[in-house]
Amino acid sequence: MNALLIQGLLNGLILGAIYGLVGLGLNIIYGVLRVVNFAHGEFLVLGAYFAWVMLSVFGINPFIALPLAFIAFFAVGYGLYFLLVPRLARSDDPETSSLLLMFGVSIALGAAMLLVFDADARTLDVPVEPVFLTFGEIVLPTIRLIALGIAVALVAVLAWFLYRTQVGKALRAFIMNRDAVSLVGINAKRLSAFAFGLGIGLAAATGVIVSMVFPSFSPFMGNDYTLIGFVIIVLGGLGHPVGALLGALIYGITEQVAVVYLNPSMATALGFSLMIAVIFVRPSGLLGQRQLS
Amino acid sequence: MQVHASEAAHIRHRQQDQGVDRLRYRVAALLFLFLVAGMAALPLATGQISFAFYLMLWIAMATGMNICVGFTGYLPFGYVVFYGVGAYATGICYRIAGLPILPSLLAAGAAGLLIALLMAPTLRLKGVYFGIVSLGLATIVRLGIANLPDHYTGGSMGLILSGANSPVQSFYAMLAVMALALWVVLWLSRSRLGRQLRAIKDDPGAAACVGINVPSVRLKAWLLAALIPALAGGVEAWYTNVVDPEYSFHVLVTAKSIIYGMAGGFGTIIGPVVGTMALYGIDHLIWERFPLLNLLLLGLIIIALMLFLPRGVVGSLLRRKPQLRRYIA
Amino acid sequence: MLKVRNLKKRFGGLQALRGIDLDVPARAILGVIGMNGSGKTTMLNCINGIYRADSGSIELDGQPLAGRPIHEVAALGIGRTFQVPRVFQHMTLLDNMDVAQVASQASDAERNEQSAYWLDKVGLLALRYNYAEELSGGQQKLVELARIMVARPKLILLDEPFAGVNPQLALQLINLIAEIPVQHDCSVVLVSHDLTSIYQLSHHIVVMNEGAILTQGSADTVRSDPAVIEAYLGA
Repeated sequence: MNALLIQGLLNGLILGAIYGLVGLGLNIIYGVLRVVNFAHGEFLVLGAYFAWVMLSVFGINPFIALPLAFIAFFAVGYGLYFLLVPRLARSDDPETSSLLLMFGVSIALGAAMLLVFDADARTLDVPVEPVFLTFGEIVLPTIRLIALGIAVALVAVLAWFLYRTQVGKALRAFIMNRDAVSLVGINAKRLSAFAFGLGIGLAAATGVIVSMVFPSFSPFMGNDYTLIGFVIIVLGGLGHPVGALLGALIYGITEQVAVVYLNPSMATALGFSLMIAVIFVRPSGLLGQRQLS
Repeated sequence: MQVHASEAAHIRHRQQDQGVDRLRYRVAALLFLFLVAGMAALPLATGQISFAFYLMLWIAMATGMNICVGFTGYLPFGYVVFYGVGAYATGICYRIAGLPILPSLLAAGAAGLLIALLMAPTLRLKGVYFGIVSLGLATIVRLGIANLPDHYTGGSMGLILSGANSPVQSFYAMLAVMALALWVVLWLSRSRLGRQLRAIKDDPGAAACVGINVPSVRLKAWLLAALIPALAGGVEAWYTNVVDPEYSFHVLVTAKSIIYGMAGGFGTIIGPVVGTMALYGIDHLIWERFPLLNLLLLGLIIIALMLFLPRGVVGSLLRRKPQLRRYIA
Repeated sequence: MLKVRNLKKRFGGLQALRGIDLDVPARAILGVIGMNGSGKTTMLNCINGIYRADSGSIELDGQPLAGRPIHEVAALGIGRTFQVPRVFQHMTLLDNMDVAQVASQASDAERNEQSAYWLDKVGLLALRYNYAEELSGGQQKLVELARIMVARPKLILLDEPFAGVNPQLALQLINLIAEIPVQHDCSVVLVSHDLTSIYQLSHHIVVMNEGAILTQGSADTVRSDPAVIEAYLGA
């Protein structure tokens, strides 16, 4: 097989893992809160900037910055929940309202980043030895493989958390039946805030990974990631985390293989077309349940 | 005896009912008439028509968005696609096909309708999915246009419609577009189609059960809603002489249409007009003095609106004082 | 007038309707009773087009209904109310009436006349400018009934019209429903748990159980049928 193609496949895997994390975060927030987090991408980019600031100002390398980012943004998310979400629940159409509200948040965050960091693209220089790993004809930056490893580890940790811990199980219960949860004595508000924090923290952590994988990032990348996140969710089905992972892999591989043969923007267009096709063929996602009419 | 009494009562009721409807309609129609007349007279009084031009553009855009959101119940995050396609249709027809400006503008409308028709299958999607697909489609169109061969669309640098510059004429063209938009919502507010739309927005299942052909009615509204931004985009291209993928498909076009409309309130036809007039001035002022802050403030305004005034100024007013419903359409 | 033959519907592993045969003559009231889950609402949903039956036929005056979209079934003359009234909350009562006459070729004046007539009949004419959401649940049930009648239907399907309704309102509803067949040339299929009202109103009663018709007949027949007593009326 073509070496470029294999490289594209591997890149697709790595990106798929990253997109998967984005999709997971979005799914948790939607599943628990029924909030469509249109600003997810912006939090991701904020995570990338966090890593950059940690490195250039404090000299802390991104491997340590990652858990720090998660904790910091978890706290931000937790607080934001109480600020933003309870009012939404009172509106006529909470889902649409959340969509609009987070749309506003995304614009505000993007603009704030622009103000603070300027439009210049930043790069994160992570000293890793060796810089490249070679497998026959295939050359991969080491940092990408490490990022893949971290992403997979994150997914594993998340899975462990959701299936093995009390809080995680409560979260899953909440996703399945929002009303019943309060009946069994769980504080729905705190759980929701926790979920929001988790989602935002995850976004920021993913942002740190992104800063390691990609040569540069800028304030307006957020939009693209949010859109991709939604593509993933649509592919996998809103509320189905495993489907999101599957969708992410498919999307990542499709996009990266397409990049080998087409130019990047056409590859993106192809990815979105895939999403639209899936929506029409399987409206509840690749793994979602068929709804009764 | 009994029959006569109830018949008389019904006739009285009928006249009363028509009276109430007429009042709201007349108030709105009068307001719109003043607006159009005022704008029409403006170029005769001053040469500074740019502010008014864009005010009319945004009133039209917010009104078009109102048809989508307020009447039909959709949040088209890719709304800008109609605007961009309209702009490009005009640009291509004028610059590349060499057509005169009027047919080029009509082509803008046709292009908008065509895209809307192509997007018709997405109308059966639920709110969230629809919004995302709409945005995805808009992105695909933008990327597609940017990647087409340069001699078709000007590529990523866009087109320049040199020689088309005629500010006053394009001003009146935009006035026509705004007037069209206002007329459409006036018509919708008292037409059968408008009522059917409101029923669908309220409860699509029940609407079908009373005999409303939901997909067909939605499509009609969607086509109307697409026509307005397409024409607006075409006229704006004429006014500025520039068409390019970044600018003609910018997410801010959708964002502002939503914000201005939301500020007034999508539930009424007066709301978005009021919202645009209130916010555009402020927005423009801030953009002139503090361009960097402008974007941030827009985002903060959306947040503030959604948290504190989700029904917009007019909508919240109606909530507090329902008796005003007699006057506000 | 309405002929249902061998209607079957399954949801995943559950056979909700096992081959239903039903005849509703013109100007009649058919009562449908049965335990929860017996398939009553599913049957209504199939008739009115909300569900697509897996097999079987549904004919209204010879016109096949199965497979048609909901609005076509409605336009052919079938009205439907729901257990929880689905009125258009953000529209006035008058608009609710008007929008239900979508298939009508009548003029504006005639439609307004019809709207006023039915609002008057349910005693809500004075509230005609109020938004439906401002009304109580019971009043909304009346609005829903008026709304389906305004379209001059041939057949109306009423799903639990007496559910959660106070006795005074129930009486009003019973009187309204009783006069529909003769005064408005329209048949009624009435699904309810309120046995007293069913016995009072229905010309004919159908008892459903687990997706099939257990028995049918007049009120007396049904009341004394041992199978019905065992399965439904029981203790």
